[in-house]
Amino acid sequence: MPAHDFKGRRRRPQRSDARWVVGGLLVLLVLFVGVLYFFQRTRDLPSFLANNQVLLFVLWYVDIILIVVILFVLLRNLFKLMVERRHRMLGSKFKVKLVLTFIGLSLIPVLLLFTIATELLQGSVDRWFTAPVQEVLEQGAAVAEELVSRIEKGTLRDASQLLQDIRPIDLADPQQRPELGDLLRQRLQTTNLAMVAVYDERVFIQAAIDPQAGITDLPELPADFLSDAAATGWAVRPVRQVPGQSGRLILAAAAGPPAPAPDESGGDQAAPPPRPIVVAGALMAPSLAEKTERLIDASQSYRQLEVQREDLKASHLLTFLMVTLLILLASSWVGLYLARRVTVPIQALADGTRRISLGDLDHRVEVAADDELGVLVDSFNRMTQELKRNKEVIEQSNLELVAANERLAEERALIGAVLENVAAGVISTDAAGRIFTCNGAALRMLRQRESEVIGLAAADAWRDPERRKVADLLSEELENGHLARELHLVLGGEWKTFDAKVTAIDDGESEQEEGAPGEGESGRVIVLEDLTELIKAQQLAAWNEAARRIAHEIKNPLTPIKLSAERLLYKSRQEDPALGKALEEAVEIITREVASMQSMVDEFSRYARMPGPRPTSVDVRRLIHETIHLYRDLKPGVAVRGNIPTELPAAQLDAEQIKRALINLIDNALEATDAPGVVEVSAERRTGTLYIHVADSGRGVPVEARGKLFLPHFSTKGRGTGLGLSIVQRIITEHHGTIRVEANEPHGTIFTIELPS
Amino acid sequence: MPATATFGAEISKPVVTVEENRALIDFELSEAFDERFLDRIQSGLPTGFVYRLELRKDRKRWYDRPMRETTLQVVAMYDAVAREYLVNTKLGGKLVESRGVTDLADLEREMTRVIRLPAFELDEFPSSWRLIVRVRAEMGSKTLLSFIPVTIKTDWGESKKFRTKNALPDGA
Repeated sequence: MPAHDFKGRRRRPQRSDARWVVGGLLVLLVLFVGVLYFFQRTRDLPSFLANNQVLLFVLWYVDIILIVVILFVLLRNLFKLMVERRHRMLGSKFKVKLVLTFIGLSLIPVLLLFTIATELLQGSVDRWFTAPVQEVLEQGAAVAEELVSRIEKGTLRDASQLLQDIRPIDLADPQQRPELGDLLRQRLQTTNLAMVAVYDERVFIQAAIDPQAGITDLPELPADFLSDAAATGWAVRPVRQVPGQSGRLILAAAAGPPAPAPDESGGDQAAPPPRPIVVAGALMAPSLAEKTERLIDASQSYRQLEVQREDLKASHLLTFLMVTLLILLASSWVGLYLARRVTVPIQALADGTRRISLGDLDHRVEVAADDELGVLVDSFNRMTQELKRNKEVIEQSNLELVAANERLAEERALIGAVLENVAAGVISTDAAGRIFTCNGAALRMLRQRESEVIGLAAADAWRDPERRKVADLLSEELENGHLARELHLVLGGEWKTFDAKVTAIDDGESEQEEGAPGEGESGRVIVLEDLTELIKAQQLAAWNEAARRIAHEIKNPLTPIKLSAERLLYKSRQEDPALGKALEEAVEIITREVASMQSMVDEFSRYARMPGPRPTSVDVRRLIHETIHLYRDLKPGVAVRGNIPTELPAAQLDAEQIKRALINLIDNALEATDAPGVVEVSAERRTGTLYIHVADSGRGVPVEARGKLFLPHFSTKGRGTGLGLSIVQRIITEHHGTIRVEANEPHGTIFTIELPS
Repeated sequence: MPATATFGAEISKPVVTVEENRALIDFELSEAFDERFLDRIQSGLPTGFVYRLELRKDRKRWYDRPMRETTLQVVAMYDAVAREYLVNTKLGGKLVESRGVTDLADLEREMTRVIRLPAFELDEFPSSWRLIVRVRAEMGSKTLLSFIPVTIKTDWGESKKFRTKNALPDGA
């Protein structure tokens, strides 16, 4: 992904930037080394090259350009910083401090170094031109020049002397040449001259060379040498290139007056006669020539340096200035660059923060950095991404929540409508035990108004003893979050029977409060079903069934009675002699069947006449043990035992009736259990309820028969009146209790009696 | 840009002579052989003047139009051993003369007096044009405040206006 700065401009990767910095510093280093090398080399360079004025101007222009560049860079950045500070951009103060620190840190030592170096240079240059050195060089050159001058003068004198000597000789006459040659050779022997030559104006006449001087040929005369001599009467020139010699030849030319014109009476103006010129050459030994030249050259070099002293200082100063400016430029640029490297990410982060605070979570800070700032930027971007994701999740959740709320509202309305229209009473409480909802059916059942219950604690809403049973039931401990109970209330002077089912609303998060239903519950729901009419209908149905069974039972003995009577009538009409015997048999049958009918009627009379319970405080444990004791060893192979906790409290019961019910249940259990087997009677008290269980390991009761067990005259044994369990249920019901039958595991039956204690 | 300085040197008004459609120019530089200049020459450093010559077309009430320009370089170098000044003269970058001078007066004359210098060809200019020759001398450089190099120049010396065929007096 390409990197951009916080303004969105594309930026080069930082690694490239680092290369630029390193490259720039390397260039600076190379430049510095080059300048150092230049200074070293200037010692060996000719002064006119080292102090070349072109170099001076080049340095000056380079310095001017550098100053302009530095000023441009600094002013531009300072202007930008001022603008940023004016706009109160984040990071601008920091950038100003950083830039000024960098520039200050580089400026102070560099300027200090520049000043010291300049002073040192000026002092050094001035020390070069101290008086003793100048004096020595000038005097040395003067001595050398004096020596050369003396040689020149001596040579010129010899040339003038020779000119006087050859005056009698006619140079134009070839006959006199041997004489001229002798004269020249003689002069060579008597003087230190290395050569002599005679010219007639510019025409060579004759020359002589000293064989001991080592000159192999006449040297080439300097240009204008003879003409200058002819014009001024004399001329002196040094000649460096001497054939066969490495020394220097001092040539001196003496020109004589022009020879008299042969004919001065002529009308025509004749050309001036040629002038004799004698050229004498004195040879300076190579070592002497070299020494004098070196002395003169040294003096000249010194004079050149002195002349160029200001230029030399200026070039060195300008070079120092150039290096100083380069260092300043580099340090300023590096400072600005590093400041930008630090502040750009900070500004980008600040800008990003601002934009994110305005809600632009799609914004990403794009700064190429691989240091801690890069980590910070990456963290910021990750945070932004996380924020965006969270925002999306929250928005999605919000949408879902809105939808869920709408659904809940609909469901609540639906549930409300359902609850208002169901026959069952539904009451809910919150975690604190306050009544949250109470539908119309519940209000009608409990004969209350909504304002009397909603928002109140159950104990406050149902203060009277009858309704208090509902509150107590709500506060009871639940088994696996459920509790079912039959409530018998007297409301408005009527007996009401409700099937109450309490269910915990468990959200797993609610904190337990004092008086709250239970731990981990957010409330409870109690569903009340009015069983009053159902019980009445069941009782009516039971009596219908009982009447049908009684009629059926009554019809059974009536048939043998009728048949016996008809047989007697037939025997009587036939005047059968066996009428007596038949009469006896018929009377016996009729008597037996009538007794059976009588027994049945008596049983029903007893059932109908059973008195109401008279409860007293009864030791339930003792009562059960006494009852069990009656059955000890009654049926071989079948053990009858009790399992009653010793701390079982006393209960308000009619002991006789409960004992009768237990006997009935144990009888049935013994009858249903074959040896080896066990019949166990156990009791317990939980949440204000007394539970008595009669369990056997016998054949068990078929599922389809369990619903009819407590109906009058229903029997699975095929004998008896079938009223035993009906009586048991009536006893328990009249004690405001319940009895239920369940299968025992692995086989057998359990009868459970629940009595309010 | 470096500053310029004149240091009292002056260039005379150039005199232009038109011959065979060539501008022959005479001028003289005075007050140039000061102590500084002589010291430099005597030290053996190549020292000289650069004469900048410009040929311009005269325009009334407007700037003159530059037509041609050339340079005349006169550089002297002293040989202390031979005690001779070698003077090289270049016109337009080409060496036109090289000679030795032994006398300082001759040297000054050689370097500061220019006679009948064939600086410009005038063939391509119409005879109706009025022309001017400007000359200035550059005499090397000097430093101000020990480090600011300045070029030493004279002011421009301007010739009289002339035409290609015949030199004309002013206002003609």
